[in-house]
Amino acid sequence: MTDLTVSQKSLGAEVAVRSAPYFPRKKKAITGRSIAVLVFLSICALFFCVPLYVVITTSFKTMEQIREGAMFALPNVWTLEAWDHAWNSACSGTRCEGLKVGFWNSVYILIPSLILSIGLSIVTGYALALWNVKWAGPFLFVLFICAFVPFQIIMFPLISMTAAMKVYGSIWGVAIIHAILAMPVLTLIFRNYYKDIPQEIMSAAVMDSGSFWKIFFEIILPMSGNILIVVLILQITSIWNDYLIGVTFGGLGGQPMTVNLANLITISTGTVRYNDNMAAALLTAIPPLVIYFFVGKLFVQGITAGAIKG
Amino acid sequence: MTFRWSRWSPQLALVPAGLVTLVAFIGAILWTVYLSLTRSRRLPEYEIDWSEWGRQYERLFKDSAWLISLQNLIVLGLGSALAIVFGFILAAMIDREKRGESIFRTVFLYPLAISLIVTGAAWRWMFNPELGVEHFIHSIGLTWVNASWLARPETAMYGVILASVWQSAGFYMALMLAGLKSINSEIWSAARLDGVSLFRLYTEIIIPMMKFTFVTCAILLSLGVIKAYDVIVAMTNGGPGQSTYVPAYFTIQALSAKGNLGFASAAAVLMLLITAVIFLPLVLLTAWQQRRSGARS
Repeated sequence: MTDLTVSQKSLGAEVAVRSAPYFPRKKKAITGRSIAVLVFLSICALFFCVPLYVVITTSFKTMEQIREGAMFALPNVWTLEAWDHAWNSACSGTRCEGLKVGFWNSVYILIPSLILSIGLSIVTGYALALWNVKWAGPFLFVLFICAFVPFQIIMFPLISMTAAMKVYGSIWGVAIIHAILAMPVLTLIFRNYYKDIPQEIMSAAVMDSGSFWKIFFEIILPMSGNILIVVLILQITSIWNDYLIGVTFGGLGGQPMTVNLANLITISTGTVRYNDNMAAALLTAIPPLVIYFFVGKLFVQGITAGAIKG
Repeated sequence: MTFRWSRWSPQLALVPAGLVTLVAFIGAILWTVYLSLTRSRRLPEYEIDWSEWGRQYERLFKDSAWLISLQNLIVLGLGSALAIVFGFILAAMIDREKRGESIFRTVFLYPLAISLIVTGAAWRWMFNPELGVEHFIHSIGLTWVNASWLARPETAMYGVILASVWQSAGFYMALMLAGLKSINSEIWSAARLDGVSLFRLYTEIIIPMMKFTFVTCAILLSLGVIKAYDVIVAMTNGGPGQSTYVPAYFTIQALSAKGNLGFASAAAVLMLLITAVIFLPLVLLTAWQQRRSGARS
């Protein structure tokens, strides 16, 4: 009880402090213009929601109903048949084992990719921001340029190199390429975050006979919670949604879920089962959507920070 | 002199990133540039016939698919620019009308969270010639409407544009909203006191104040357009015919489907050049902004 009142009080005080410099805002009656704006915004919102609505309803329909052609109708009978089929037996290329293969590949790709890409760039960003290293300025400039390089121009050399390293066509190949391609942007993000750490903290830490790694693990890493979670969300969504790297480096054994989905929807032989396709699309979209709806704010921070990734 | 780890470990920590930059970026780019001068087909050849070093580039500009790709790049760029306009209108409205801000933001931004392959799959299905939106429009009596854009070469690009605008408008809205929020709130009350019309307020005061945000958006958009690949694969696979080829798609197609390495490398080099042309203003802009903020403080 006491805790509650205290927190209520402090909340009230905070609101009072925050609104103090402003004039008190009158609760205005809704004007005609406001209504027009809200109607317009709602119509736009509808435009954004229509594809999602169509995809969801189609995935629960039977093929018989889909052939009737009423795209916007709700399912007559709600059935999970298409979801089951998409997960367990949809065909991607010549293999008909469903999207579950791709799902687990995506998960296995995600974990090493995250560790490699974040590990590499956090240390680089830390060294560039807080230590006196030679050529730090030019190196940052080169990284900035590398962040914009189109993938196609380094594609063939990377294929040759991964083939020489015997990781081409496997989950490890995909993970290494993800780490390489994310390195410039992530390094810049980490470096921009660390460069605001006061010089006094670093001087004190160095005086305390702290070594490079000791300072990193005992002082810097515990301070990096905010930026780590933003980068983590950015990387999870972009690795999960990636298609190009997966299809180029995954070979036959390491194809992520997006590649399976693309194979499924671009198939041109036989009767196309649209409900399976839409269930497959939803299955692929669910993990990032869940992240978005739970931590949307951090997601937006991440994409604006990593915007140059394109 | 004794060897001191404290002095050397920061330099050593940079070795992996330095190697990656040197090998995977700089080395790889030079490798591709070199290959573009050779006669490589399926396998790389490393002999350059200097009398006709530009052979692959000549072939490229005689290839109708490449010319279509360049044309589509411009069409896609101009069409996708609608996303910036749309994003600004949405942001301006959300910013003035505070009601429901978080709901609208959430709705407008969710397409950004999903893979472009999923976006493409959804729109491909909406544009389905027999069962899609066209069928629905025809069934309510508007039989003259042509809505199966992806099935016809003349309109297929518009379908791709619609899907990209749908996917990215929310992103530009978020950037614009951040820009609008940084504008001093006194301007609004000053404009109201002076009796400036809302339209003039936006066109003559707000938009010029936000020119940096607009330029950033335009550059990000151009870079996104050059990289456009996934959405093409998912929606049209370059077709019908070659009507929706873009450079990114053309290059990968030349490498993986045709197995023509020298040719694909030449296309990739040109992609890099186009990126550089767009990228240069960004460098200048960043330098200019830094100097301005440096002068202010």
